[in-house]
Amino acid sequence: MTTETVTPSQEVAEILLQQGGEMLRECYQCGTCTAICPWNQVTTFTIRKLIHKAQMGLVDFEDQEIWRCVGCRLCVDRCPRGVDVPKVIRAIRRVVMDVGAGVVPHALRIADKNLAGVGNPLGEPREKRNDWAKSLDVKTFTKDTEFLYFACCYQCYDSRCRAISRAAVNILKKAKVDFGILGAEQVCCGESLRKAGHESLYQSLARTNIEVFQQAGVKKILVTSPHCLHTFRDEYGEFGGNFEVIHTAQYISTLIEEGRIKPTKRLGKRVTYHDSCCLGRYAGMYDEPRQILQSIPGLELVEMRNTCQYALCCGGCAGRLWQETLKGERFAETRIEQALEIGASVLAVYCPYCMVNFEDSLLSSGKSESLRIADITELVEEAISA
Amino acid sequence: MTKNKAKVGVYICHCGSNIAGVVDVKDVAAYAQGLPSVAAVKDYVYMCSDPGQNIIKEDIKHLGLNRVVVACCSPSLHELTFRRACQEAGLNPYLFQQANIREQCSWVTEDAALATVKAKALVSGAVSRVVHQEPLEKREVEINPNTLVIGGGIAGIQAALEIADGGYKVYLVEKTPSVGGHMAQLDKTFPTLDCSSCILTPKMTQAGSHPNIELMVYSEVEEISGYVGNFKVKVRKKAKYVDEEKCTGCGICQTKCPIRVDSEFDAGIGKRKAIYTPFAQAVPNVPVIVAEECTYFIKGKCRACEKFCEPGAIDFEQKDEIVEIDVGAIIASTGYGVFDPTPMAHYGYGRLDNVITSLEFERLVSSAGPTGGKIQLKDGSTPTSIAIAHCIGSRDEKYHEYCSRVCCMYALKYSHLIKEKTEADVYQMYIDMRCFGKGYEEFYKRLSEEGVKFIRGKVGEVTDRAISDEEKGKLIVLAEDSLLGNVMRVPVDMVILCVALEPQADAENTARKLGISRSADGFYLERHPKLDPVATTTDGVFVAGCCQGPKDIPDTVAQASAAAARALAMISKGKVEVEAATAHIDEERCSGCRICNDLCPFSSITFDEEKKVSRVNDALCKGCGVCVAACPSGIISGRHFTAEQIIAEIEGVLA
Amino acid sequence: MSFEPKILGVLCKWCSYAGADLAGTSRKKYAPNVRVVRVNCTGRVEPTFVLKAFEKGADGVLIAGCHPGDCHYLEGNYKALRRFQLLKKMLAQMGIDDGRVRLEWISASEGERFAVVVNEMTERVRKLGPFAKNGGSNG
Repeated sequence: MTTETVTPSQEVAEILLQQGGEMLRECYQCGTCTAICPWNQVTTFTIRKLIHKAQMGLVDFEDQEIWRCVGCRLCVDRCPRGVDVPKVIRAIRRVVMDVGAGVVPHALRIADKNLAGVGNPLGEPREKRNDWAKSLDVKTFTKDTEFLYFACCYQCYDSRCRAISRAAVNILKKAKVDFGILGAEQVCCGESLRKAGHESLYQSLARTNIEVFQQAGVKKILVTSPHCLHTFRDEYGEFGGNFEVIHTAQYISTLIEEGRIKPTKRLGKRVTYHDSCCLGRYAGMYDEPRQILQSIPGLELVEMRNTCQYALCCGGCAGRLWQETLKGERFAETRIEQALEIGASVLAVYCPYCMVNFEDSLLSSGKSESLRIADITELVEEAISA
Repeated sequence: MTKNKAKVGVYICHCGSNIAGVVDVKDVAAYAQGLPSVAAVKDYVYMCSDPGQNIIKEDIKHLGLNRVVVACCSPSLHELTFRRACQEAGLNPYLFQQANIREQCSWVTEDAALATVKAKALVSGAVSRVVHQEPLEKREVEINPNTLVIGGGIAGIQAALEIADGGYKVYLVEKTPSVGGHMAQLDKTFPTLDCSSCILTPKMTQAGSHPNIELMVYSEVEEISGYVGNFKVKVRKKAKYVDEEKCTGCGICQTKCPIRVDSEFDAGIGKRKAIYTPFAQAVPNVPVIVAEECTYFIKGKCRACEKFCEPGAIDFEQKDEIVEIDVGAIIASTGYGVFDPTPMAHYGYGRLDNVITSLEFERLVSSAGPTGGKIQLKDGSTPTSIAIAHCIGSRDEKYHEYCSRVCCMYALKYSHLIKEKTEADVYQMYIDMRCFGKGYEEFYKRLSEEGVKFIRGKVGEVTDRAISDEEKGKLIVLAEDSLLGNVMRVPVDMVILCVALEPQADAENTARKLGISRSADGFYLERHPKLDPVATTTDGVFVAGCCQGPKDIPDTVAQASAAAARALAMISKGKVEVEAATAHIDEERCSGCRICNDLCPFSSITFDEEKKVSRVNDALCKGCGVCVAACPSGIISGRHFTAEQIIAEIEGVLA
Repeated sequence: MSFEPKILGVLCKWCSYAGADLAGTSRKKYAPNVRVVRVNCTGRVEPTFVLKAFEKGADGVLIAGCHPGDCHYLEGNYKALRRFQLLKKMLAQMGIDDGRVRLEWISASEGERFAVVVNEMTERVRKLGPFAKNGGSNG
């Protein structure tokens, strides 16, 4: 047996730093991230080791492990050196997606191709982007309209998620909010694609949207996906897109507070709320969704064991939604069990990705009878339609 | 000597490559050559070295220089060095000026060309200023030979004893009812495992009975005024409601008192009464009544302690007392606080029974503690496995970025004590084992041999959610064993959180009273991190122990002795040099408007009613220059900071 | 050639000068445009110093001292603050943009902050352009 000589590669380490992995250098390898990474509840994922490999420039770009991190930020909140782990992972992925090393997982490549081709990850035709709004009589945004309502790709095309955008529109109309929508020229917000590492394509999507918004004279944007919220609000600024972006969690809670909508219809159910990573750890919105739920008469709000800043990810961030996760390794399955454990009959979400993941796992678990997955937007719409 | 005849020598230091690696020193030297009044310019690799200083001394003697400028590091580092060199060559030290081209130029500028431009400007400023500088004479004041030591932990006790043994009076002020500090709470000490009380108690007794030490416990410093050699201190002696003269320390009052509250000394795991001494060996052995807890003070009746006190020492009429003392030096040894891990909810402290802090464990394992030294769980049973989690609140930028220095070692000590007293398995979850002191690494080896399991990884979470039968009823500690690359779920009965040492909650307030600075971590700032670790920016105020940064007992004692030595050196000299750069009023031109009188923060300006002019008392003036800037007639000059000098420097740096 | 502003820094020796030294020992890089003059206390700073600086070619003046409550001379920084407010009024009357002067509290432990303040100030003055060309005297 011979000893294989391994030499740290300064060159690769430098590339990773250039790709936004500066925080790599801060890591002192304590392993806190691995210890609390949700993946280790279902399989083995030594994120600390991956970071060390990156520090040494010894990342194996063909290893499919680099696609595992969902960017949920659970570790970021506890890292004693404050390392933004998802950003480090993103840098590694950029080397594959943008620089061209390694292998892109098949499912991700398809979503990527769709985004490049038709501006949405589902590969649906551009011209059908607004089909969800047919028969709802929504006006087109003009420069005198106060809000642009931007529906996430899933809320435009996915049959289940369309109900969310439709519910949002109904609520806004009922509250007499001055809003409009724009047409098929809009594209995916790109948030997940960026975390998946395809920076150049993300930037072109972002620039397209910014141009569309600016030409239409958009100042304020209402969104029903926290992913759109995160990238519009926190990332589009880098490319000159500065808009006031509001998630409906925030806006609807204000509408209720001001009495512009009144949830009057009883919902005599035990409801638990799943904090999505993007609304929770990214945007820090823990109270508003709960306030909205508690304003619905008869609704009993119960909490699952990992909640608020400790919430378990649904497994759908950072491009994982487009990839296959083995049965038995899906966080959504664990989350559904946690909801059932506390006797909830409704699992409320506030993010289309969570919706897609939970519906999927619920179906395959055969427990559809005992649990309903509902977006808070939908619950509010029901409660005010008395 | 007139300014026209100024002959300035300019010396540019390379500081190895620290300056010369960025700044073109030859170019700066050539530039300096062309400045007015400059008679000699030299550059040298280390100006502060003996040969460097000799160049200056020789030039003063042989070239007849009467002004010196050295462009090198910060004046806070070497101003004294060069002033001394000038003095040794017969030049008044105030005719020296330093240009800071290292800390404020070569170290902060990447562009060599721009750094060189800036260095030239700074040299030009210094040359322009120095020709206006006047010789000043250092003044000396008498030193009050008494010393105040604030804080009666091991640092304060050590410092007080050193000075008292040297034959000088010490006031030792302690805010709790007894001296002893944190060290009195510890069971054994690492790495020797000698009993903490056994080595501390004799020192406490000595401090309590030393003829040169006036012990003021249950007291706090309220206010400090004055200056080096002559501080005036107001100390609040809190009412004990117990007459110290009469009390015999029999302790019957404590057994009779019906009120039980959490004991601070026992870190909350034991109880004490409303009348109490913190622990059996307290010095002085006189209890205090906490009025806020006492039934008599709250409801107007009870007086159980009074009934049973034979000597009649209970005195409910006592009041707080303000005592004024005069001292020449002050040693701050105010110690540390411990980090409260409650905000780190994932460790379950406060929520999960048997997740405890290191200080709580220290009391648990102490034979004088609430359990008599029995290591037990909340339900009284003996643990069969214990995890020790390192670095809780330290080495963590969300709480304290620094390393607390003592945790690795006390964690090893705990392992030994657990192994000695129980059959329990011990796990250490660590990031790095830091065993740097004398005998420390050897202690680490010894514990490895005792069968302690070391898991290299920080604890990520402590939970009571079992996923297997083995985990049922246990605390499960999650950590990555980073050497194996596996996540461990370790079921244990008890988790000890090694919490960070942090600045005392009132450190900011105390620092203000002392007029000293704190470093970014909140601990008191020493004058120089390497070469002057016991002095502070305020003359006559020294620091010792953990108030300056986390340290173990040997380092604390060493620093305390060093602080005492500094105070003793000052006292034995009997005099101290004070600021020569004071304000001066030209009485001939003073209009007597008295604006300066009220502005002076040190009340050093008085008004001469007869001559109708204001006058500065040199002994009180600290040279801040507030009056100088405010005088409407412009006739107050700040020695060494005259308007002429400052404006000359401004013109110079902008030239 | 791009305009490199000349900024005079007047720092109190107890806090801000030590803070600037700390920036150095921590090797924090910042704009080389500031030239520092050390004073014992910001309370010593006369408005004349600032006016003189502008006359002698400064494009901006940064005065920095101890945080309120931390003054080595008890209250020199409060006096500086009051004087600074008057100075700003005076500068306004002279048509000098108040972006050219700045008073900051920087402690001995705020090396990083010193660097940030210098960089901000340099950028601000860079945008305002050279002082002499903007109506100031051409000293």
